[in-house]
Formats: sequence, C-alpha cells, structure tokens
Amino acid sequence: MSDSNLDPKNNSNSAEPKPALNFLLLSAGSIFTSMIVAGFLVGYALDQLFDTTPIFLLGCALLGFIGGIQKVHKLTSRMDMVPQERKDDQKS
Amino acid sequence: MGTVEYIQHHLTNNTIGEGFWTFNMDTIVISFLLGALIVLTAARMGKSLQAGTPGGFQNFVESILDFVSTNVRDAFPGHNPLIAPLALTIFIWVWLMNFMDLIPVDLIPYLYQLVTGDSHAYLKIVPTTDLNTTLAMAFTVFALIMYYNVKIKGLGGFIKMFLFHPFGKFLVPVNIVMTLIEEVSKPLSLALRLFGNMFAGELVFLLIALIGGTLAVGAAALFWAPLQVLLDLGWLIFHLLVITLQAFIFMVLTIVYLGMAHDEGH
Repeated sequence: MSDSNLDPKNNSNSAEPKPALNFLLLSAGSIFTSMIVAGFLVGYALDQLFDTTPIFLLGCALLGFIGGIQKVHKLTSRMDMVPQERKDDQKS
Repeated sequence: MGTVEYIQHHLTNNTIGEGFWTFNMDTIVISFLLGALIVLTAARMGKSLQAGTPGGFQNFVESILDFVSTNVRDAFPGHNPLIAPLALTIFIWVWLMNFMDLIPVDLIPYLYQLVTGDSHAYLKIVPTTDLNTTLAMAFTVFALIMYYNVKIKGLGGFIKMFLFHPFGKFLVPVNIVMTLIEEVSKPLSLALRLFGNMFAGELVFLLIALIGGTLAVGAAALFWAPLQVLLDLGWLIFHLLVITLQAFIFMVLTIVYLGMAHDEGH
C-alpha cells in the first residue's frame, strides 16, 4: 500500500485528507489480520522455495505482525488530522 | 434432520467434479444470472432513456450513478476511464449477490429439491458466502493493481517500491519481504472481509430459522413462531445495512487501492 496517501505529514495531493480514504478505517481490523495471514503465506511459500521450514514462516509472520501494527497506526493517526475550517470552528 | 445437519446442508455447495477441479455450480450459475440481470436491465434502460422528465426507475439508477461517481472523484486522483464503470459494476454486482442472503433461507433450496426430485440436493444461493467468489473478485482487482503499478510507475519504479519501502535503503531484503506481504494482504483483506460478513450473516439467518424449525412442536409453536418472525425481521433490516455497507466498502477500497497504484509520488 502506498503510504504517501496515508501519511498525515505527506498528504501533498490536497490540503485536506481525502474523505474516501477514511473508509480504510472501517477495515483497519481486517487489514491487520490479513497482514499476519499474508505474512504466513509468503513465509510458507519462501520456505517451500528454499527448503528452510520453519524459519521464513515465523520470520514473515513476525514481519506481517509488525507491518500490520504499523499500518493500523498510520490509518488511525489520520483521525488526528482535522480540516482547517473545523479547527477554526473549534476555536471560536 | 438434526440442527447440525441442517446447518451443514445449507452451507454445502452443489458441486461438479472433484479435487482441485471442483466447480461450485450454484455459485457460478447464480452469480452469472445476477450479472446477466444487470446487463439486461442496463440495456433496456439505455434504450428508454428520457432526457426531460425521467421516470422513477431512471431516477433511481441515476442516483446510484451519481453516488458512485462522487466516490470515484473523492478517492481517485487523476483520470482513468476504467475506474468508474469498474466501481459501478462491483457495487451493483456485489450488492445483488449479497441480497440473495435476504431471500428466506429455505425457500429456493426447497423449490430446487422439488424440481429435481432429490430431497437431499445441495443448493447455496448466496455467491458471496463462497470464498471462491470473493477471492476471484479480489484477485481480479489485484491483477489490475499490479498492471497499473507497472504501467504508471514503470518497471523500474515498481521494483524500487519493493526495494526501498518501508524501511529505507539499508534493509533491502526485509523491505522486499515486507512489501510482498503488504501486497498479498490487499486481496486477502478484500476477500476475507466480504466473505466473513456474508457467511456470518447467513449463519445467523439459519440459526433464526432453526427456532421455528426444531423447537416449535405442537402448542409451543404459538410462542416460537412469532419470536422467529420478530428476530428474522430485525436481523433482515440490520442485514440490509450490512450488505449495502459491504458492497460499498469493496467498491471504495478497490478505488482507493487503484488510486494508490496510480500515485506516482510513492
């Protein structure tokens, strides 16, 4: 996933976060789970390839877990971004 | 038939072939019929378009088109004539396949058993409760994501994405595995979310149907049957929201993922 869209500091395409990207938040849970599952799958495939069971399986599962946490953290940190006009509303 | 057999019977596909080449015929036929329904309706609609005062159905279709095109405009940077039709197809097709969940669980399997004369014939009428359907759609989207990744970023840019993301240039082997995991997780999360929600919804409908089916013996039916109707109605109304939301999420995430593939600044 391209993180330039998700990263709050690097949203160069527009000043405000894109509203549709917020729907990724709905699936934060399943993204996390599927990252771990994908880690196991990739690890299993690599193990079959190099005949190293279970080193890659465990390593990739760990990487998937780390990546999943990283991704969900990035997604949820979008919640901290408040569009400019709403910030003004809150001040007044 | 016991409770367990009843549920298992309803969750078993009508198959042809065996092993790897098992075809779930009910899934294939019903999803094909629903696709044909969309095509036919769209064709008829296209012939009878009115510019001045559109009728009720045209208004309805136009509101769906508006809804989808607003979402595409919000989520998709740049311009690609394929995205909006793809999003519309996904939304309507997934919604219709999900909608099969709202037809009473025993009705169509019972009719099918009457027609074929086989009282044990399997029929699972909701294509999205079959992991094969959702995975197939997710892999199609995944293939498009890969295609546009290579097309927009170039082969060099695509390889660079694998090498230097997300941990920078000093951890290249880890980056390759990590990006691989991220890419594989996209179709997985798309497919598993839709499948999980629909499968669980179908299972709840089956459990509610069991209330009247197994518990209602004699006078007890006076109590259990109204309860079943009440629960069914409640879950049906809630599930109507779920099927729309799931179709919508599948559509939006397709747009978002394809938008990311189009994003050169990656």
